[in-house]
Order: sequence, then C-alpha cells, then structure tokens
Amino acid sequence: MKFIALTILSVLVVVFVNPFTPFWIVMICIGMISALLGAKGFSSFLAGGLGMGLAWLGQTVFISYQTGSPLPDQMAEIMGLGSGVFLSMITGILGFLLGGFSAYSGSLFRRLFKKRPDNLYRG
Amino acid sequence: MKYISFLLVLAITITLAVLISRPIGPVPPVAPLIDPNHGFWQNMYSEDELIEEELSLPDLSNPVTVVYDENLIPHIFAANKKDLYMAQGYITAKHRLWQMEFQTRAAAGRLSEIVGDIALDLDRMTRRKGLGYGAELGMEFLEKNDPETLEYLKSYAAGVNQYISQLSPGQTPVEYKILNYRPEEWTPYKSLLLLKYMSDMLVGDRDLEYTNLRKILGAQMLDKLYPDLPNEPDPVIEAGKVWDFDAIPVTKPDSINYPDETWKMDPLPQPVEGIGSNNWAVAPSKTKNGNPILANDPHLGLNLPSLWYSLQLTTPEYSVKGASLPGALGIISGFNQNIAWGVTNATKDARDWYKITFQSEDRKAYKYGDEWRPTTFRVEEIKIKGQEAFLDTVVYTHYGPVVYDKNFRGDRQDVNFALKWTVHMGSNEQKTFLLLNEAKDHKDYNIALDNFTAPAQNFVFASKSGDIAMRIQGKFALKWPEQGKFLMDGSDPKMEWQTYIPNDQNPQTLNPERGFVASANQHPVDSNYPYYVFDNSYEHYRNRRINGRLRQMDQITIDDMKALQFDDYYQQASEILPTMLSLLGDAFKENDKAQEYLSQLKEWDFYADPNQKAPTLYYIWWNDLYGQIWKKWDEFGVPVVKPNSYQTIQFLLNEPEAKIFDVENTSEVETAKDHVQKSFQMMLDEMGKWEEENGDYAWANYKNTTIQHLVPQFKAFSVSHVYTGGGAGIVNATSGRHGASWRMVVELGDKPTAFGVYPGGQSGNPGSKYYKNFIPVWAEGKYLNFNLREESEAEGVLFQTTLK
Repeated sequence: MKFIALTILSVLVVVFVNPFTPFWIVMICIGMISALLGAKGFSSFLAGGLGMGLAWLGQTVFISYQTGSPLPDQMAEIMGLGSGVFLSMITGILGFLLGGFSAYSGSLFRRLFKKRPDNLYRG
Repeated sequence: MKYISFLLVLAITITLAVLISRPIGPVPPVAPLIDPNHGFWQNMYSEDELIEEELSLPDLSNPVTVVYDENLIPHIFAANKKDLYMAQGYITAKHRLWQMEFQTRAAAGRLSEIVGDIALDLDRMTRRKGLGYGAELGMEFLEKNDPETLEYLKSYAAGVNQYISQLSPGQTPVEYKILNYRPEEWTPYKSLLLLKYMSDMLVGDRDLEYTNLRKILGAQMLDKLYPDLPNEPDPVIEAGKVWDFDAIPVTKPDSINYPDETWKMDPLPQPVEGIGSNNWAVAPSKTKNGNPILANDPHLGLNLPSLWYSLQLTTPEYSVKGASLPGALGIISGFNQNIAWGVTNATKDARDWYKITFQSEDRKAYKYGDEWRPTTFRVEEIKIKGQEAFLDTVVYTHYGPVVYDKNFRGDRQDVNFALKWTVHMGSNEQKTFLLLNEAKDHKDYNIALDNFTAPAQNFVFASKSGDIAMRIQGKFALKWPEQGKFLMDGSDPKMEWQTYIPNDQNPQTLNPERGFVASANQHPVDSNYPYYVFDNSYEHYRNRRINGRLRQMDQITIDDMKALQFDDYYQQASEILPTMLSLLGDAFKENDKAQEYLSQLKEWDFYADPNQKAPTLYYIWWNDLYGQIWKKWDEFGVPVVKPNSYQTIQFLLNEPEAKIFDVENTSEVETAKDHVQKSFQMMLDEMGKWEEENGDYAWANYKNTTIQHLVPQFKAFSVSHVYTGGGAGIVNATSGRHGASWRMVVELGDKPTAFGVYPGGQSGNPGSKYYKNFIPVWAEGKYLNFNLREESEAEGVLFQTTLK
C-alpha cells in the first residue's frame, strides 16, 4: 500500500511541482514524502524511482506525441546517442535514479528516529 | 549502523544530483538539458502550441496588437513608433533571441566566451579589424547628432530585455541549453554592432595580393590581366549616362613610393565568392498592369536560423512589410503603401592599408610626413570559457587599427599595417532604414539614403507614382587612379584619402529611358563617370543576363519577375563551353565514358536545373581548367589573387595561343588547348570517383545546397541536399552554401501586391514546425503572400497577441 502511495505521490510531484521548480526540489519533496509515509528501505527506492522515472518518461512520450517535433532525434544526433527514443529512455532512467535515491534517503532518515521496540525479548 | 547507511545513501543522492547539475568537460549539465519540464523537451512545442493572448510589456504607452499569419509572420500594430520598435524588439527576441545574441557576440569578438579558445583567433581578428570600435563611434555619432534614432534603439533594446526577463527555463532557446550559457542584456550598441557586422560580411580588399602581383608581374601585365573595367561593361547605372555635375579635381601625386616588396602575411578572410545580390525595378511602361514592379534577392550565406526575419510594422501613419535583420530596427528590404526598395552590395574598395613606421619598439609614435604622431592603445580583453582571459593590445593610428603586427599574422618584426575603412567612421545606417520604412516618394528615399555610409549598397527604388530609381550609396573616398589598389606608405601624407565624393555625385539614375534599373554587384558605372572606380570582385555574368532579359521583356507581370529571380541560365557556360569543346577536339574519341559526358555537354541547353547532369560536368571541368591555367600563380609563395573567370574566358576565346597559357618550366610551349585537354582528363578522373562514391551526378546532388545552422557542428539542425537549381554567377545564385537568402517581388498598384520567401522559417527554434517550413517553398521557386494586412482582417490568422 505504501509502495503504491509513494509511487503515485512521486508522479504527482513531478507533474505538479516540477514545471515550476528545478529537479532537485522534486528530489527533496520525494524524500520528504517517503519519510512521512514511512516506506521501507529498498521498496521505497523502487517506489520513488518508478514514480519519478515513469513520470519523466511519460512526459517525454506525451510531448513527443503532442508535438510530433523532430527535436529528440536531432538532439540524440548532436549528443551522439542514437535516437530520440533512446533519449526518452535515458531521461526515464535518470528520473528513476533520482527519485529512487531520494525516496531511499527519506526512508532511511525516518529510520533514524524510529525507536527500537522495547518489549522484545532479546535474550 | 543506521546512521552510516543513511549518510551513505544521502551522499550518493547528493552526489548524483550535483553530478548532473555541473558541466563535465565540454558536456553541458545533464539535468537542465533533459529534465522534461525545463530541458530541450520543452523546445518541442511550436509557437502556435504556446499561444499567449496577452503579454506584459509595461513600458508601452499604448497596447500593441500582434497578428500572426499562417506562416508565423507577425504584423505589429502600434500607436506610435516608439511602441512599434519596442514591440519589434520583444517579438523578434521571442523568435530569434539566441541568433541575435550569437551574431552580436561574433561581431564583438566574444565567441571564445561561449565555445572556448577554439574561437580565439577569430575573436582577435574581429577585434583587430575594429568592428567594436566602429560601433562605439556609431554610438557617439547618435548621441551627438541623432537622439531620435537613439531613442528608438533604446525602445527596441527595452523590448528585447523585457522578453529576456520573462524567459522561463523551459522556453530558453535550445542552443543556450546545449552550449550552457545564458542570454545577457541587449543594448543599442549591439544593434549598431550588427550593422557593422554586415559590412564585414560584404566588404573585402585585395591590396596585399595586388601589391605582390605588381611586384611579380609588373604594372603593364597587371593591367592586362586585371583591367579596371571590362571591354563591354553592363554597369549598374545605364552605360552612356551623362553626369551633369562638376567633378571635384583630384591629382595623382607625381612620385609614389609604394611599399615595394612582396609580402607574405596571411590576408584577412574575404567575402566568399557567391556573396552578392540582385535587384531591379521595371517602369510602368514595361509592365502589363502599368504599375512599377520591384524585385530584390540578396545572396548571402544560407544559414539557420535564417539571417532574415519577416514582419509587418504598422502605425497610424504607415505600414511597412518585408525582411528585417534580427537585432536591427525596421525593415531592411521591403515596401510600404507608397514605395518599395531593395539592396545589393556595391563594394568599391572601401578598405585600404597603410604601412606604419614606428619610432621605436614601444610603438608610441609613428612617422607621418616630417613629424612623429602619437598612437593610442586599445587593450582587448577576450574572455575564454574555462580559461584565463586573453589580453590583446591593438595600436591605433589616425588611419585606423594596426591589424597586422608582430603579435598577429606577421612573422616579421617590421610588419605593421593600419586599416583605413569606412566602418570606422561615425555613421548612422540605422537611420536610412527607419526613414525608408516610412518614405512616400523619391525625394524621401534620397533623404533616407544620405545617412548611409557602409557597406555601400545599390538601393533600388520604385514608387506607386510610377518612378523607378537606382542609387549607389556609401561613403566613397575620392581617390586618384589606383589609390588604394596597393598597400600604401602611411608615413607619406600624399597617400591619404583627401576627401569624399559628395552624396549627390554618387552614381544614381531616375526613370532611365530603357524602362528599368538593375544591379547585380557589377561595375557601378561606365568610363564616363568622372571618378576612379575600382574593386576586385565585380560580377560579370548575372548583370548581363538580367539586363539582357529585362531589355527583351515587355508587358511584364509579377510572375515574369519571379521567374527571372529563379532563372537558372548558366551564362558563363554558354559563353565558354562551345570553345572548350572545340579546343578539346577528338582527343577522347576512344573513351566511352568521355563520349557519354561529351554528348551530355553538347546537348545541354545551359540551364543549371536541379535534374540536369551537364552543369556538374561543366562546373568540374571549368574549375579544373581555371586551376590548370593559373596553377603557376600558386608557386609565387606569397598571397596573390588570380585573374577572374571572366578575364580568363576572354583569353581563351580571343587569344588561345597567348603566352599566359605557357607553363614556363616545361620544354613545350603550352596553349589553351593543352590546358583544356588536361583538365578534361582531370574531370574524367574526378567524375569517376564521384560516381563510384555517390552515384547520380545530377546538379542538385552534386552541388548539395546546404542551409547550415550557425553552429556548423549542430548538423542535425541544418538542412542539406536541398533539391534546387542555380549556382554562383547565375541569376538564381544558389550554390552549395550561398544563394538567395531572401526573394521579394512587389507590384506597386493602388495597393501593393507583394510576394516573398526565404530559405528558413520564422522560428529560430529547431524543434518548431516553423523553423524550416519555407525551405521547400523556396527551393521550388515559389513564394508566400506578403500583402499588407489590416488589423481587422480575420482570414489566415494563426493567432493574435496583445502586448500591454
């Protein structure tokens, strides 16, 4: 449940916050949401990553579909990176890494303040 | 443990974020480039997908309406001129900001700031030529003499700056993102700089080369190979024109001491062959509708974003439309309700070089007559991306900057040449265009032109009232014969330019009897004109074709004029190819391939249309032949200029056995025939190789017309292999990299009927569908409707914006 919530919230942050702020603000937001939700370790990484990665990938696909502009292929040629589709994928992967590590950081940050359960028998 | 893992992951996260925010070597920061919300993805939207109905431009006195037609051509309706130019600045920046900025940085010698030390030599050259110095003098001139124009320049700058201040990261032109820099403030100075840059693009000189040739060949041979005027000139101003003024006397000094040795400096870059233009106007008596028709097509480097940006500028008093230069005010080539005008380059040796004798090593004084005059020093600080700034000290004399010295392009300590150039004289070219924009008749046109100094232009004119005119305007030094053809001794005051030809004595004509005026960069006048006229680069072919056609034509329509602009007739080939074929004789009878080529050449109608094969064969053959004939010139070991194609062809036609064809260090005596045969063999070899590598050698394939992005490395933003005919020296002057950068035809009836097109598009954004959408139209010789629009006209509106 937390996984899905974090994914969806990350997507929403990209869609609604990213247009007005640089990417690192988005990273901080995702980290904070991850901490607040209390998503667990590696699953927070996947959720934040999928959220931001899919959102970025989706945006590139959406703009390409909407405009039909040849720019991605041209940019890929100038950057020596094959095709525009490949650039979309790179954008998605970069989004995944940024979102993932942000969420993971948030998750680990929350763990710092989590008290150890004291009613456990520790032998 | 949990602290360590948190800090570790946080460190990775931050490192990642920092890494993609910073440039790595030449690679720009990745994140701002590919973030879909701010990076290049945002540049994929075309202008009609980003419509804003209202934009804020608070300095306007009244709201301004901008109506875009379906080609994204803005029609700006303003209450007064100040608002008009502010809106022009804003709207031009909206579509062409990066280009405007890039061109003025190039003109200021500041490219190293953007691209690093790879541009250092170019920047030094630009600065040593004194373009910035010229623009500063232009500013001083305006401050003293023309506060009104300065006021408009400030309005324009305010408009540009308002746009820059509103610019979102997403809409920042993609070139800034790739090259990782930001737009900076626009100033009136930059507008002036841009006009100086045009001078630089259009003006050359061959003083160094002629000096060397004079030493090597002798004055007599030089005159024979490089005559000042061809035998049968077809000049800009009709031959036989009677000049009804008393010429100012000028006397050639009795003894002239030219710096008489050969010089081995690397000369300044020259305007490329193929840079030139056509313009003409036909009188009502020669047209079908009884209205004058005017045509203009300037030939310049074919670039994207296009050098030209089209718009209509309207105030309650006038409405003008045509092509503007992004960065300069008003329309440069266009028309209004009453008149139309156009420009072609009219170079006339506007640059001269003076050898400077310094008093001592410190270069603080130089010899002038019997005295030592003090120099001034100008330190140019060239900032370089990623490196320390480079300081270049340029010495200035009263002639101008010492371009060549021990620090630049001179391998000898005693090489010091100062450049005298009309660009370094305070002047007000901008005013000419502002006045032309609202001119009503021939008198207004003349007043406007009086402000124009450089680069000298042939201004063609037509008015609704039926006048046609041509005036060659620039500030021309009154020179004695051969003054400035060679490097001169700057210590001798007799070598100075003494005065200038008064504006009313510049070559001009109004309603000549022949019923048309036309210019194509040829000699301005015939030998009747009382002043000395010289330039190395005059055209010999386009002018004769255009004038020949215009003489024949009658009942002319707009379509006829469009067809003439797109005329592919290869005049040069028509004059020399038959002789080349006859000199070749039967030499290649046994060679099947040669016979195939020869039959194509023999059947050719001399039109360089895109699908023709013969133009390719002729072009290669002629260039090889020309190269063979003058190959010995390369062995002089110093810079020289070879006799032009026209003179070479006169020798081939008239004196095929002449001594100039002999290659001196061989045992035989070569004639034209030997060169023709040898060059044909070279052509066979080249064609064999070309066909093997590229296949079809149709003219369009071979010449590969390419419209190149201003940063040549951005190949993906360029358009190559444009299927179109023409070539250098042809009326449709479209060669590989140069050609008609703007075509306009206007008929001045009750309401003007106008057509125009340029190889590009209104948008400077490579991601926009308006970036290159005119190219196919242009390539086929078609045009866009350029009629004046009313604000209320609803048809063909893409969208409309109000600035307030």
